[in-house]
Amino acid sequence: MDWLTDKVSFAIAVLFYGISMVYSVFLWRKGFRQDNRVNYFLLLGAAVFHTTAMIKRGFSLERCPVNNLFEATMFVTWTMVATYLVLGIWSRLRFLGAFASPVLFCIGIFALMPGLDLRGTEPEFGGGLSSAHATFILLSYGAFGLSSIAGIMYVTQEHDLKYHKLRAVLSLLPPMERLEKVMKWLLISGFILLTIGLAQSPFLLKQKFNVYFTNDPKLIWSIIVWAIYLTLILMHARFAQTGRRFAWGAIGTFAFVLLTFWGINLLSPAHN
Amino acid sequence: MPIVVIGLSHHSSPVTIRERFAFAETIIPEALQKIRASGIAEEAVILSTCNRVEIYVSTNLKDRDASTALQNFLVEHHNYRDELNGEIYALSEPKSLEHLFKVAAGLDSMVLGETEILGQLKRAYDLALQHKHTGSRLNKAFQKAFNVAKQIRTETNIQRGSVSVGSVAVELAEKIFTSLSERQVMVIGAGETSEKTARALLSRGAHSILVSNRSHERAVALAAELDGRAVQFDEWVNEFPKIDIVISSTAAPHYVLDRAKLEPMMKFRKNRSLLLIDIAVPRDIEPEVNFLENVYLYNIDDLQAIADDYLKQRREEIARCEKIISDKVKGAFTVSNDMKYFPSPDSIATASQ
Repeated sequence: MDWLTDKVSFAIAVLFYGISMVYSVFLWRKGFRQDNRVNYFLLLGAAVFHTTAMIKRGFSLERCPVNNLFEATMFVTWTMVATYLVLGIWSRLRFLGAFASPVLFCIGIFALMPGLDLRGTEPEFGGGLSSAHATFILLSYGAFGLSSIAGIMYVTQEHDLKYHKLRAVLSLLPPMERLEKVMKWLLISGFILLTIGLAQSPFLLKQKFNVYFTNDPKLIWSIIVWAIYLTLILMHARFAQTGRRFAWGAIGTFAFVLLTFWGINLLSPAHN
Repeated sequence: MPIVVIGLSHHSSPVTIRERFAFAETIIPEALQKIRASGIAEEAVILSTCNRVEIYVSTNLKDRDASTALQNFLVEHHNYRDELNGEIYALSEPKSLEHLFKVAAGLDSMVLGETEILGQLKRAYDLALQHKHTGSRLNKAFQKAFNVAKQIRTETNIQRGSVSVGSVAVELAEKIFTSLSERQVMVIGAGETSEKTARALLSRGAHSILVSNRSHERAVALAAELDGRAVQFDEWVNEFPKIDIVISSTAAPHYVLDRAKLEPMMKFRKNRSLLLIDIAVPRDIEPEVNFLENVYLYNIDDLQAIADDYLKQRREEIARCEKIISDKVKGAFTVSNDMKYFPSPDSIATASQ
């Protein structure tokens, strides 16, 4: 099984995401009318190979595999699929997978691009603190990602209900209230994880640069992302910005993260 | 011993005749005893609902003799003196079994695919079983019917969806709210359809009902029936912050609720989701409110369109259901070569002869 390297395992996982994505199109065309476990098991199969890839990479590095863009991307998508597999145990949330698989496939394809998996010298931050920092932050992005997927489900269902589409009634998508609750709790979980991850930054900066704060682009960007999610949560809790606005907020913010994460990372001296 | 069925249903006779042949549950055991004591049948089950009266028997007699005897019994038991013109049908195997399976699956019901009939059939069978009026033939047939109904429910969409306006409203509510148990419903205008819709919501666990009507007495009466509370017609707006579902069916010629009125009220509700069911013609609720966030407005045409679509889907499933039934009938019982279906004989058309 020497051929089954970490990269190959991850590629097989991405292949499963692709198959799941195609299958999801059929589910969507059928209006999500029947509880279908096939997609769940496709994503479970993908998760097995995905986890294998991460374990292999981790053992080969003898540390948590969060040291370059490829590993970071792999970690974020792993968080998303792992969280989905837990939520998908409840049949009414299982269709999250149909919405998640296209996102997972696209991010996975991106991660497999050459040039992302650069293995240079030893990471400049030593010890478990660096791994913990990266892990918490990437876990948070996984939670934000799944929250945005729940948001996509929400706006889809909301559109169908508003325009009196029959599939709104026929489908087995979860009720709007439940979707909003799932979005909220995933956002809050992600926010807590992001806060913990960011809270470790000063200590890492002290270790490397002997300062507690620097105007590193990625640090600034992370604080902005943290502030946006905090605003979203407060607007939802205190100012009754619920429903469609909340969903679009979750979708838009994660889209912003997806589109800027890798570029900002390359601009960051502290992370290169 | 073939299984024979005779009876009347909404297909063959109007309610004015069906009600003359209905059996009260308390007298069914005695009627079954009479059928068996008279030698017509070894085993018997009587099914009597608002849409059908049927007697299923397993008999040693020839099919035609058994059906004649059963029809005579039916007419004499209910002392029916008027003329009959084919209202009573009679079926023998395998048609009798097909009919039983179709009845169990709701394929012969007034509302295609309805599920209440299965419970009624089970009760009828249990009653006969308790009083020892069934044997191996009817036991096997009815158990098979229940299994077929379950298979059809699982493998087809014949029972999927709601075909009445009230139950469509409930489905919509369940698409928006996780649970109806904490939901407050307001009925504005105490009409028949809004009452049915409110009842449907209550049956699925809606928390409480407020009723508001121009005639406060009517509101109080309806509220009492629904175990709710009446509200003066010019004060219903004050209750809005607590309401999750509104059913409106007033006779007002203008909009009772428009966007300008609703938008500020949503703030008091902290933008919680609101389902508006407008059953009135002319409409009570301005269509523009549907574009407010977290507000979902459905009028009578929207609900009826959904109900019609569901009915259409059920009709499309009939062929699949009939295939399942046909396979089960072939597999379970031998097919008799005798005539399978025949109308009621002329000899019992006039009971006085």
